[in-house]
Amino acid sequence: MRNRQEPSVVTHPLVHRLIENIEKVVVGKKREIELSLIALLSGGHVLLEDVPGVGKTMMVRALAKSVGADYKRIQFTPDLLPSDVTGVSVFSQKTMEFHFRPGPVMSNIVLADEINRTSPKTQAALLEALEEGSVTTDGETRELQDPFMVMATQNPIEYGGTYPLPEAQLDRFLFKFKIGYPSKSEELEVLNRVEKRHPIEEVTPVLTLEDIVDMKKDVRKVFVNEKVKEYIINIVNATRQHHAVYLGGSPRASIALMKAGQAYAFMQDREFVVPDDIKYLAPYALQHRILLNSDAKLSDTTNERVIHEVVQQVHIPAGKESVR
Amino acid sequence: MAKINSKPAGSVTHLFIYILTFLLLWEWLRPIPVITHTADIHIFVWFAFFSAILIYLRVPYWLIIPALLAGSIYGLHIIFYEGSFLSREGGWQTVRLFSGEAWYNTTLIFSGEFAGLTDPFRTFLLFLLLALVCYLLYFSVFQTRRIFFFLLSTVVYITVLDTFTPVEASAAIIRIVIIGFFILTLLHMLKIQDEERAIGRRTASFFSPAWMYTLIFMILAATGVGIAAPKPDPQWSDPVPAMRGMVLGEGSGSGSGLKRVGYGENDERLGGGFIQDDNPVFTAEVDEASYWRGESKHEYTGHGWVSDPRYEEVSGDSLGYAKYESLTETEERQVSIEMKEGVGFSHFFYPGQVQSISLDNLSFYVDDNEGAREPLSFMTDPVGGRVMAETPEGNEITLTAYDLVYEDPAFPIGTMRTVSENDPQEVQDLYLQLPEELPERVADLAEEIVEDEENRYDKVKAVEQYFSESGFTYQTQDVPMPEEDEDYVDQFLFETQVGYCDNYSTSMAVLLRTLDIPARWVKGFTSGEEIEELEDGRSVYEVANGNAHSWVEVYFPEVGWVPFEPTQGFDNYAEFAEEEVDIDIDLDEENGEDTEQPDQDRDDMIPELEEGADDFEAAGSDGSTGGGGPGLAEMFTPRTLFISILSLVFLMVLYQKQSRLQNYYFLIHYKLLGQDKRFSTAYRRLLWILENEGLPRGEGETLREYAKRVDLVLSSQAMMKLTKLYEKVYYGGYEPDGEWEALQTEWEELVKSLNS
Repeated sequence: MRNRQEPSVVTHPLVHRLIENIEKVVVGKKREIELSLIALLSGGHVLLEDVPGVGKTMMVRALAKSVGADYKRIQFTPDLLPSDVTGVSVFSQKTMEFHFRPGPVMSNIVLADEINRTSPKTQAALLEALEEGSVTTDGETRELQDPFMVMATQNPIEYGGTYPLPEAQLDRFLFKFKIGYPSKSEELEVLNRVEKRHPIEEVTPVLTLEDIVDMKKDVRKVFVNEKVKEYIINIVNATRQHHAVYLGGSPRASIALMKAGQAYAFMQDREFVVPDDIKYLAPYALQHRILLNSDAKLSDTTNERVIHEVVQQVHIPAGKESVR
Repeated sequence: MAKINSKPAGSVTHLFIYILTFLLLWEWLRPIPVITHTADIHIFVWFAFFSAILIYLRVPYWLIIPALLAGSIYGLHIIFYEGSFLSREGGWQTVRLFSGEAWYNTTLIFSGEFAGLTDPFRTFLLFLLLALVCYLLYFSVFQTRRIFFFLLSTVVYITVLDTFTPVEASAAIIRIVIIGFFILTLLHMLKIQDEERAIGRRTASFFSPAWMYTLIFMILAATGVGIAAPKPDPQWSDPVPAMRGMVLGEGSGSGSGLKRVGYGENDERLGGGFIQDDNPVFTAEVDEASYWRGESKHEYTGHGWVSDPRYEEVSGDSLGYAKYESLTETEERQVSIEMKEGVGFSHFFYPGQVQSISLDNLSFYVDDNEGAREPLSFMTDPVGGRVMAETPEGNEITLTAYDLVYEDPAFPIGTMRTVSENDPQEVQDLYLQLPEELPERVADLAEEIVEDEENRYDKVKAVEQYFSESGFTYQTQDVPMPEEDEDYVDQFLFETQVGYCDNYSTSMAVLLRTLDIPARWVKGFTSGEEIEELEDGRSVYEVANGNAHSWVEVYFPEVGWVPFEPTQGFDNYAEFAEEEVDIDIDLDEENGEDTEQPDQDRDDMIPELEEGADDFEAAGSDGSTGGGGPGLAEMFTPRTLFISILSLVFLMVLYQKQSRLQNYYFLIHYKLLGQDKRFSTAYRRLLWILENEGLPRGEGETLREYAKRVDLVLSSQAMMKLTKLYEKVYYGGYEPDGEWEALQTEWEELVKSLNS
């Protein structure tokens, strides 16, 4: 796994430009930016589990601004209703008919803040949108825009007053990761940047939405060798068989891993996926999809550690095994 | 045999091993015609081959049993019955005859009369055995994968046959070793593969070329060295004669044709070590111990003694051979000799000067007809003193017992010191002969030995004593054979100084001749071991092959031929007193006891082929090389040492550097095969080499991570470049287009850096 200090592996020119642009606002979060872009390019969504104030919003806004995307933020509260998310049909007295007022979900990039503070009903409304790519209100199905990406944040589950997301819904997020506190020097840099005015004001689009759509198409063309697919399956399978795991990764996890791998390969300007891509992405793509059994919970085992173990153990295909 | 059907399908390797075990089975069949009266062994081989194929193909049992039955019937038909098998009278007749046989033999078996089994039935049982063995081999190769016991028993079988029977197995043992190496290593390979499969590193078995090349090379090298390397003589004496003697009660000369020590005919080439043999030759009833004279030889060739006996027909009353002249006093004595069974001599052994043969007690046989009592004619060689008997028609006989009358001499030393030294002309002619090539230094040495001596007797005594005083060593083994251009005596006197009676006696005779003293070389037996004391004061002596001996007789005018004993450890002439006549008897007694000492302790012998009535031995008459071969000294010549050390070092280097050499092989291999399509194998080979060099890729380690690590360890960047290209080819499905040529040097650098 790459660590923070390593230079970016992203070599695709457009993506590279995009990352540089976002970094004007977000300091020292290159990896998280990359992961977000992978989600964007592979049509996935991101769950950020973090404390408030570490720059989640800034990152999403910078991303949205950089691609000229329509950006909405939903603050989830316990009294939020599904229609507040999806939109609502309002009766217009002028025209004497109902007409639809799209909710915040009908935009390109949605920041769903504190998603576990709202009722399951409202959560479900959003998460349906994530999976289906469409919302249904008043019996009418409306396509969401393309690109569409939700970045949800949740408070760490131990906090009070939360409605934890069920596994089925967690499974719909491509990645789950933390942003985490910046290092001291990074924080100093943050202070320096916002001293005069906030840099988000200065962010200008470097790409268009059409560029993103084109790139998404290209991502799907990235070649995944049978051996690599096998490797993905082996990893997901291993999570199912791990002794500390109560519920392992689903086939959807395999799909997610492959798609993310394609996007990651694309960002590195490569036309095929290598096991390194998968191995790198596996923790982000899998750790929220497994449930530990009670024994493991009582001991120190964490989801991260299980995935780490699995990735270290699964054999990596490297050619005919019988070279003698 | 139903079990065969449940077998898992074997690999090519299994088949190969199975074929090899079949070859081992063949080795079991090969010697059979030599040791038994079995003919047509190829039929059995074919039958075994046939059963092996059937078993390998896992033919169901309801088919395999009739097939094998038919095969053995066909084999029986070829061996025992006549006519075409396919015709009505042929095959059917055989079946009919054989079913009758089978019934008869089954009854025999149940009544326990195994000896009565008929030949066809025995043959059938052998066929059955072969089929069973084939099945067992199949089972041990494909199921248990253990073949060592079979291999070991093959080796034991062959070596036992080689040792105890006429089977010549030197080639067979090489074949077995080669086959055995192959089988064991291949089975080991299969086991390794199984283990790897068990830990999930391999999905199917394979036939590894690299393994095979190494294997073939190692086996060829080992076999080559084994064949070419110098070999020491057997460290243990040949156990066969002793064992045969013990188990079968056979005497010596029983005609097995084995080379060993004893009294022989041919002395043209003396030298070489020999092995002891204590089989008795004859027993003799005598008044007192004495040496047994067979004959003397007078012409020295530089390598040995030759004689050209001219026989005169004599009567048994007067054998007409004179050794002693007027000044020697003699006493007439009588001796009875009984030859051991199986010992075949047609001439007599006698002490002193033989006078006559008692025809009454003479027994012999002609052409295996024991106890034949025909009139015999006696022949004497007046020069060599060989007395033999034959039928009037000239047929050779084998003596079994005879009584002799002989003259027991007492030599007057005082007279011998003073007699003139004018030898008769015929004595000079015969007994002063020397080869022209005899080196000067022999004569010089003789002069030196006797320079202080006045008379002939003292000179002779000086030469006789010389050997015991000048650091010569008596030994029977590791005595070298002189080279073609080397003189036997010269070699002994100046080079080796180790040897046995032939060396001592020949040297003494030659030394005396250089001093113009007539001398001749005598061969026979020492007195032997006293085994029984009879009531009338006579004793029975047993003379064994190990008592074969040679000594010297020197001519003194008017005294005759006086025997001398130069050989160390043998008393200064055993039988004949060399003192004044009046103390003769005392000395005789003393000497009589003494003679036994050397006989028992030293077992001085003449290394020659046993002389006997057997054609086999008569044909092999160039036998004085018995127990030959390189001695220890010869083994450790600088040359052999050098070669041995060199090959040892070579093998050590080979072992030490095997991975290096292997890497060089791959370097050249992939250099020669530098096409792009070879890139993948080259890269994978690199992974393999790295693993062998102690840099294995971890289980969950991606190629890139691995490449980074390798580059870090080897401080290079080549691995990452190669890996990127490999990723492209392997994961991306690209065909490399010229990149491999570009990266090939990097690849080579990497392998070389591993080698350095």
